[in-house]
Amino acid sequence: MCEANVYLSREGLEELLMEGVDRIIPGDDDNIFLENVFGERRLVKARIKEMELVRHRIVLEEIKEAAVRPHLELWLEPDTDHGHFHPGEEARMKLFQGFNMRAHEAASMEGLEAFVRINGQLRELALHKHHDAMEIELGQELEGLAQIYVHYKGESELYATAVMEVGHHHHRGLQPLGLPLEIVPLDYSHARLGENYGIQVLKDGQPLAGAEVRATFNGTQSRDYPHHLKTDGEGKCRLFLTARGNYLFSVIHDNTTSTFTLIKSF
Amino acid sequence: MCKNMPPLELAIQFHGHICPGLLMGVRAAEFAQKYLDVSPDQDEELLAVVETNSCGVDAIQSILGCTFGKGNLIFRDYGKSVYTIASRDKDRAVRIAQKYQAQPHPDNVRYRELSRQGTLTEEEAAEKENLLASIFERIMTTPFEELFNWQEADFAIPEKAQIYPTVQCSICGEGVMEPRAIMNGQLYVCPTCT
Ligand SMILES: [Zn+2]
Ligand SMILES: [Zn+2]
Repeated sequence: MCEANVYLSREGLEELLMEGVDRIIPGDDDNIFLENVFGERRLVKARIKEMELVRHRIVLEEIKEAAVRPHLELWLEPDTDHGHFHPGEEARMKLFQGFNMRAHEAASMEGLEAFVRINGQLRELALHKHHDAMEIELGQELEGLAQIYVHYKGESELYATAVMEVGHHHHRGLQPLGLPLEIVPLDYSHARLGENYGIQVLKDGQPLAGAEVRATFNGTQSRDYPHHLKTDGEGKCRLFLTARGNYLFSVIHDNTTSTFTLIKSF
Repeated sequence: MCKNMPPLELAIQFHGHICPGLLMGVRAAEFAQKYLDVSPDQDEELLAVVETNSCGVDAIQSILGCTFGKGNLIFRDYGKSVYTIASRDKDRAVRIAQKYQAQPHPDNVRYRELSRQGTLTEEEAAEKENLLASIFERIMTTPFEELFNWQEADFAIPEKAQIYPTVQCSICGEGVMEPRAIMNGQLYVCPTCT
């Protein structure tokens, strides 16, 4: 007999997790896969603490998931279902307030300002409340690649940015807006499912190394941001895109939160 | 849909959801297209023989344009993830077979388990979503030769699908393709009425 009983140690207490285990495979993300002689299978977030092979006893130690501490942030989403507007079409963005792309009640209007930069021109935009969201009208005359951002100054400073295509353009080398904290896409024209997407974090125009960037997408089932990335020496990080909806990247630094919505164009 | 959709997006749109089987089919279809150096089928220039009727076949249909309706998708019910893609113009075919995995990756095992489970808790739903994301990345970034075997296939490409006249069933009155109708004396009878 060579199976073992597997125990899980939780806050010092051991409880039997699975009997007759004959296969243990440590996997990615601190996961351990267990299979026993009865064909039962489990995946637990734990590390191996102790193996007493003579007593057929293996003790795993639970890895606690970091508690989710939601904070408020702002983000933009287009009011279209296919990721871009056509010239002549009323281009409209929605502004949300919440966490992990789950919206709380509508952001209040006070202290919010919105801008668009298109073809090198910056202009202020009007915000208004519509049902449970704040809306921003971009108008019908736009044509090109619009960089939209919203700024809020309260106890902390919040920025929300997005790049929106009006008509079909393939711009590369998007210029940063010059915000105090900003997430800039590395290559705007390549935002495809099943490929890596890169962004750069700039603090006062300079790359911010070692910053934690959270990433999520429309309709995630996770309570917390499903992805936590770290910027490299050039302030860059990459994410392999696997969800169909728009993605949101978020970074916090010095009491400032800045988000960037990656609008997928299909 | 105002742009040329990348193959992966096409397949997901067609299939309705993202799943490991579909993604494996996407890899096979993209490989076949590159290997045979062909564009997606318009009018039966390509032909696919599929030995399974699971998710991956939808990638063959949407990416290569070998579809059930056009008649250039032939199904052989062997329960094998094997696709033979033939090009009429190039007069060659490639047989692509998914490699057998004795030890499936733990992520796939757990994903299948959660997929079979009817209702999921919030944690399980999040876990399933995470598993799919890692499986997705693994399938799309693993070298093709680790996922599939392939070989040039000796394959006699059949004639293009025929279009037959429609005749009227003498019992139900509905139309039926002539070779499928049965003669009862001078009258046609459709398969449902026999
Ligand atoms: Zn499927
Ligand atoms: Zn009939």
